[in-house]
Amino acid sequence: MNSLPARLAVFALVAAGPLLFVVAPIGSFLVMSFARVEGHQIINDMTLDNYVAFFGNWVYLKTFLLTLWLCAEVTLIGIVLGYPIAWFIWRRRARTRYLLLLLFVLPLFMSYIVKIYTMRSILGLNGFLNQILVGSGILSAPSLVFLYNQGSILITMAVIFLPFVILPIFLSLERIPRNLVQASADLGAGAGTTFRHVVLPLSLPGTIAGGLFAFVLALGDFITPQMVGGPSGFTIGRVIWSQFGLAYNWPFGAAMGAVLFLFALAVIVVAGSIASRQRV
Amino acid sequence: MGLSLKAVEKSYGAQRVLQPVDLEAADGEFLTILGPSGSGKTTILRLVGGFTRPTGGHIRFGGTDLTDVPSHKRPFNTVFQDYALFPHMSVADNVGYGLMVRGMAKAAIRDKVVRTLEVVGLGGLLDRYPSQLSGGQKQRVALARAIVCEPKLILLDEPLAALDAEMRRHMQFFLKDLQRRIATAFLFVTHDQEEAITMSDRIVVMDKGRIEQVGAPGDIYYAPKTPFVARFFGDNNLIEGNVRDGRVETAVANFALPAGSRAEPRPVLVAVRPEKISIGGADGGRTAIACKVEETTFTGALTQLKARPLAAPQTTLLVKMTSDPGRPLPERGAETTLSFAPDTVAIVEVGS
Ligand SMILES: Nc1ncnc2c1ncn2[C@@H]1O[C@H](COP(=O)(O)OP(=O)(O)OP(=O)(O)O)[C@@H](O)[C@H]1O
Ligand SMILES: [Mg+2]
Repeated sequence: MNSLPARLAVFALVAAGPLLFVVAPIGSFLVMSFARVEGHQIINDMTLDNYVAFFGNWVYLKTFLLTLWLCAEVTLIGIVLGYPIAWFIWRRRARTRYLLLLLFVLPLFMSYIVKIYTMRSILGLNGFLNQILVGSGILSAPSLVFLYNQGSILITMAVIFLPFVILPIFLSLERIPRNLVQASADLGAGAGTTFRHVVLPLSLPGTIAGGLFAFVLALGDFITPQMVGGPSGFTIGRVIWSQFGLAYNWPFGAAMGAVLFLFALAVIVVAGSIASRQRV
Repeated sequence: MGLSLKAVEKSYGAQRVLQPVDLEAADGEFLTILGPSGSGKTTILRLVGGFTRPTGGHIRFGGTDLTDVPSHKRPFNTVFQDYALFPHMSVADNVGYGLMVRGMAKAAIRDKVVRTLEVVGLGGLLDRYPSQLSGGQKQRVALARAIVCEPKLILLDEPLAALDAEMRRHMQFFLKDLQRRIATAFLFVTHDQEEAITMSDRIVVMDKGRIEQVGAPGDIYYAPKTPFVARFFGDNNLIEGNVRDGRVETAVANFALPAGSRAEPRPVLVAVRPEKISIGGADGGRTAIACKVEETTFTGALTQLKARPLAAPQTTLLVKMTSDPGRPLPERGAETTLSFAPDTVAIVEVGS
């Protein structure tokens, strides 16, 4: 039973799942990224043309960098809003705590498309936001600036991905034994000092995880820019999507996808190593 | 002017887990709170530490009222039961935390931390993390973290409960010695009566959220004031009886009321320690009881004997004597005479 072939067989069996569902698709689009298109034919002759085209064209590269910047903003807003919310929920009594948490992560159970349409109707010309601003006299007439631009992508993504940030932060706060907080007070630390030296460092891994979720989700999202970005809100996700659709240049789309994928992987690895340096 | 609790009580909703208690701890005293699980020991400690607020009464220290003072402003430090070391800080940072919070300079903190760690016998472990320490070492770090702040009073909640028997005995001795050296009052919680007896200056015995008795270990052991204390502390022979005409009457024996006891007629509980009973005659004013031997057990240094009085066969008496291979013990089933001196008996008041 413990012979080498038997163990290899078990390993192969266990490895088959990830191999089939993760490595194979990624491998296939990596291969695709080295192909080229002629008419309606995809010819696989291992060329670097797609990568040269991407890195050689300032328009694509700029879109890519602007998208990274956008994702960084989404992440930042997510953490700046999500951390205080998670902290607030964590400080409630046990009974209200989970009710409140459920309320904040409820959007996770809703359809993505529904959420985007909701955001669109909130930000639109006759939307909730304009009604409030006009109603309170801040604006004299409804404004179009909230929709169909880079800013509306940012707002929508930040709102939609917020629960993904709140949840890991809350979980990491929840894992802090209460008596560490008490021990800190016992040693003379007020609430602020305890937060800075005990609560914040111990919830850092969860905060990094939450930020990572927001960043990677934003990076891969092409539907939100499509739906609320209008003509000016262009992201790399949209560009890739158009290569698979309208432009019908799958190899070029795959090459940009590969760049995106490798970048996301690098971010995950870096964030993971920062998080694991915490001795928790 | 040490710690003083006046009518301090605690309720959770309608349930009162601590009846109003009065308690004093002098400067430099080793005061132990002892009681079975759920008796309210931790509750008292948490009230003193400021982690919960009393629902009544006042907590004072050195004359200042601390009842409404938050825990980070109280001059006490706590050694938590599961140590509560900060997992993301090295041993040095854990121990230096209280000093850092007070704004002491880095170099001075380092100095003091090094010296304190030497006091608790952890000289070389400054840069370790809690996850790299054994239970006993964590214990000492927690202790160092508390004493480095030089508090007036240290609160310890069952600090030895998680250690194995040998380590525990070692730490009992170590703690007691340390407490004398730093001359700081300890408020120590345990449910181990042997630990309480060997370490404390005074013991507070609790049951069901009430203080049953406060006293020196010898008083608690030889002069229990309530049936609970008489039962809780070590082996004891408890016999129901009555005080009448300056004598104590029980089904087992009648004897003169010990000096200092109230003569007023009433039902009482007579408590006789097993080591105060011996085999043999009624000379020198000793009270004799004719018994039938039930069993004898050799336990090492001591030999135990169980016997039933002929006059009251429903009662079992336990006797403990130093083992002596040269002296034959009565056979099982044999009749023998046991005796005790009346003034070694404790008269315990029942009910009230
Ligand atoms: N937060 C709370 N809410 C309700 N009841 C509580 C709470 N904390 C403690 N109690 C109750 O108070 C009583 C005393 O608890 P406490 O922790 O003081 O006991 P203890 O003597 O320390 O026991 P142990 O030896 O098991 O630690 C128990 O009956 C417990 O159930
Ligand atoms: Mg307890």
